[in-house]
Amino acid sequence: MGMLIRDILENSVEKFADIKAVKWLQKKDILERSYKELMENVVAVRKGLLAEGFQGKHIALIGVSSVEWIESYLGVITGSTVAVPLDAGLPGEDLIDLINRSDSEGLFLSPKLLPLLDAVLAQCPKLRKIWMLQEEEAEASNEKVVSLADLKKASENSGDCDKPNPEDIATIIFTSGTTGKSKGVMLTQDNLATNVAYVRYTAEPGTVMLSVLPIHHAFCLVMDWLKGFSLGASICINDSLLHMVRNMGIFKPDVILMVPMMVETIYKRLSAADPAIPKAALAANVFGGKLKIIFTGGAHLDPFYIDKFAEYGVDIYEGYGMSECSPVISSNMPGDNKPGSIGRPLANAEIDFDHGEILVKGSSVMKGYYQMPQETAETLKDGWLHTGDKGYLDEDGFLFINGRVKNLIILSNGENISPEEIENKLALGALVGEVIVTGENNGLTARIYPDMDVVQAKELGEEEIRAGLQSFLDEYNKNQPTYRQITGLIVRKNPFIRSSTKKIKRQEAMVDEPMK
Amino acid sequence: MTNEMQFKTIVAQYCEVKPEDMKNEMRFREDLGFSSLDFMSFLGELEDTFDVELEEDDVLKVLTIGEALEMLERLQQEA
Repeated sequence: MGMLIRDILENSVEKFADIKAVKWLQKKDILERSYKELMENVVAVRKGLLAEGFQGKHIALIGVSSVEWIESYLGVITGSTVAVPLDAGLPGEDLIDLINRSDSEGLFLSPKLLPLLDAVLAQCPKLRKIWMLQEEEAEASNEKVVSLADLKKASENSGDCDKPNPEDIATIIFTSGTTGKSKGVMLTQDNLATNVAYVRYTAEPGTVMLSVLPIHHAFCLVMDWLKGFSLGASICINDSLLHMVRNMGIFKPDVILMVPMMVETIYKRLSAADPAIPKAALAANVFGGKLKIIFTGGAHLDPFYIDKFAEYGVDIYEGYGMSECSPVISSNMPGDNKPGSIGRPLANAEIDFDHGEILVKGSSVMKGYYQMPQETAETLKDGWLHTGDKGYLDEDGFLFINGRVKNLIILSNGENISPEEIENKLALGALVGEVIVTGENNGLTARIYPDMDVVQAKELGEEEIRAGLQSFLDEYNKNQPTYRQITGLIVRKNPFIRSSTKKIKRQEAMVDEPMK
Repeated sequence: MTNEMQFKTIVAQYCEVKPEDMKNEMRFREDLGFSSLDFMSFLGELEDTFDVELEEDDVLKVLTIGEALEMLERLQQEA
């Protein structure tokens, strides 16, 4: 026994056929697709992949949220193929590495990433086909590159795939690894489908959700899209973070999933408004007039914001999860809420503790990391997932977090950053002797001890060292997604303190007298 | 209110620095403490207030108050 995303989707299409499943903007027009239309495209992608011989293969997707992206994703996971959603904001070399490491043989690529095409074709030998996420013919001279429309055309004379098994891998989601190398979390059909089913939130069909998070993230993918579809919600695509407030006014959402950083930014706008404006009027202006619920996850939210947003008629419910748990482990819910906690665990999640570390067992816990048996064994022990977070359950069964075991920086935008991954890149700077990256003030700070050989050879003064390092960081930042950019620089006077095994003592990285 | 003052009033919503203390060379993230999302939200407000349209790829190159003011001026001239 087990559950399938395909069954959930087919059930929704049967019940909500004419309800709008997805809405998005094209310039100033709102375009829409009903559940019935959505499913026709999903089936066409699924059959197309079968006709093209991709059964059992891995298919990567690179692009920001779009109706074509989600239809392709659903086409992949409702058939016999495995979807590998990747972060479109990553540098090209990282994307190529992940396509290769995930053994992807097909790729759905956003037309905006056309400049990446030549490098991908040259450096990803396993890729047999690239489908541009567009209906128009693909503008490429390589026969491997076609459009989504071509794939759908290939489906016309094809039969449909059998249903996958609940234990089959549905998707591989990459997440930051503490060793500096990202890990591919393998989630089965049953992992995803039970996470959708056991999050107890219900809503009327046609409830409007605005999807503002990156679609390749498990929280957005599973809770905005898959959970939303299971409820018959209309999911609206926020086309740019520049326009989040404007788009709330256009789509008038009832519910939004956010990361804490979004709540913090919106609060700055609310609190800066003229106090003479009534709160209800201001809320209508900023939130679109119908917003009642924000679910947050990805990082801890200061309960201060929960009280403040309540004054504007918006309830915030904090939850907790990680990609390895498909992703929700616990969540506060309307009618079952304790601010400051991360809610009660889902009914399919058993919780235990090992020296304070939260352990999770249950049907949403991943199968393992793709081709990383050692990392899998370190994280999954006897079926228990070691979360790396410390916490406790209170007398009412609400879960609280109070520390971390793993060396990851969690930013309030929900991004998990492996400091080693960035330090390895920064260490390449000519002026960089030693570097440690820390998370402060919602961003990353590089603490650098300059390479004294270079400093002496070039006879550099304090200001020149700082300017040289800043310009190196600016150059590094140019090619990185915003969450991996370094926004603070501290130039150290002394080398870092090291342990007896000559490793830098990370917990003492802040101990120094900076040059300025 | 001049363009520049209006611009700085919007900036001030997201940080502790008063408009009169803002200098052109100040960096949004490093000096004013903007989060990446504060910056995006701020740019959205610029678009709405000054009726200009920003290209996401271009704005990511903007680091300082001076550069943002220059960009705004250029877009207003083009409009």
